[in-house]
Amino acid sequence: MAKMTRRWGMVIDLDKCTGCGACNIACSQENNLPIFKDDSDVPKRVTFLDLVEVTNDKDPKAQYPDVKVAYLPKMCQQCSGNDPNHPQPPCVSVCPVVATDVGEDGVVSQIWSRCIGCRYCQVACPYEARVFHWWKPRYEGTFKKSLNPDVSVASRGTMVKCTFCSHIWKRERDRAIANGVTDINAVTYTPACASACPTNAIIFGDLNDPSSPVYEAAVQKNPRAVRLVHSIDELRTKDPSEYEKRLKIKDYPNPKVYYLTSQQWLRDKISGFKNS
Amino acid sequence: MKGTRSFLLFFLPFIIFTYIAFIVFQQACDYAMNVQAKKLLPFNHQTHTTQYGADCELCHSYDANGRFNGIPTVAVCKQCHDPNKVNNATFFAGFSDTDKPWETFAQQPDLVYFSHMAVTKNEQKVQCISCHGDKGASKTTAKIKGKMAMGVCMDCHTVTNVSNSCTVCHD
Repeated sequence: MAKMTRRWGMVIDLDKCTGCGACNIACSQENNLPIFKDDSDVPKRVTFLDLVEVTNDKDPKAQYPDVKVAYLPKMCQQCSGNDPNHPQPPCVSVCPVVATDVGEDGVVSQIWSRCIGCRYCQVACPYEARVFHWWKPRYEGTFKKSLNPDVSVASRGTMVKCTFCSHIWKRERDRAIANGVTDINAVTYTPACASACPTNAIIFGDLNDPSSPVYEAAVQKNPRAVRLVHSIDELRTKDPSEYEKRLKIKDYPNPKVYYLTSQQWLRDKISGFKNS
Repeated sequence: MKGTRSFLLFFLPFIIFTYIAFIVFQQACDYAMNVQAKKLLPFNHQTHTTQYGADCELCHSYDANGRFNGIPTVAVCKQCHDPNKVNNATFFAGFSDTDKPWETFAQQPDLVYFSHMAVTKNEQKVQCISCHGDKGASKTTAKIKGKMAMGVCMDCHTVTNVSNSCTVCHD
């Protein structure tokens, strides 16, 4: 059996994104996320994929016609640490019970049944991508009858997060094995958010595959590419010696989700890099 | 001597309580796993496998997408046993699929993703018998092996050098 040495990643084109929120709904539906009475309570809301509104209205230079708004689909960025061959995401190293781990395909898993609810990982996560079940999951009306049978409903007091829809990966793996195939590609395995996106802004694929649209070496050269709050990316081209120096003293998250945008103000907001 | 007796008397309520609780929990588990079928179908595995040469997959089949089809329905029996014969017609009249005529071996909890296909079809490392016991030689539908704890899976994964990380089965 050929080993499935895929390295799943995602590219989100913010120029194509309309902020419709279909990814958010598809994600919540796919992963049996509960609905609570007041879901505007952001810190306690249970959602894997958050639509973050980004505007430049706080910028004193932005006058009326230039005020811009962008919506940022923000899920777990599947960090891999400085060395992708020995991945060390910030959340994995702090977990005392190995409830979260990095798989061979680079996806950071989260097993709610093993979680003890200490929430160290939530503190360690630089992207606030992890959510805690403060209450027992509740579903309105007949929603419970339409739950996804592939996904177990997490109990109260456990941490959950986006795992790139790992149940879809398992399901497609089964289908592949039934057909005698031992490798699955991004065509058969696509997370719910990527398949729900009406403008194809979210593209999912294998970062190691040169024929894939998300081939990492090509995406990194793309001038539009930017990663969420990952200021060291700017130094890679501007100051390589400083870049190497910083990599040695600190473990950066090195996420596998790339954002594409041609707007400079949005790039500055996302990357968090300041020219000082 | 007296000390021992008072010691026993002190623990007697705890022992009785534990015993009763054990019985209650066992009944609850049996109920949850549908051990006592409502209407038991007198099915003999041994005659089917030895005399008629049936293998497990004749009745316990897979779906096209690799999923296990579950406990067979009465309709599966009728594929071989002609329901129009006089004897069979009276027999099958007493059973329908809603009766749940079978005892189930085990139901994995909701948080376990287990694929029979991935385990058996891949390199044929695992046979039905390794987890379910020698069901083919049994004369009833009663379960042979009772509990199937996670350690059983993990032992096999360790021996065959399959990844033992949580994500392999849990999500």
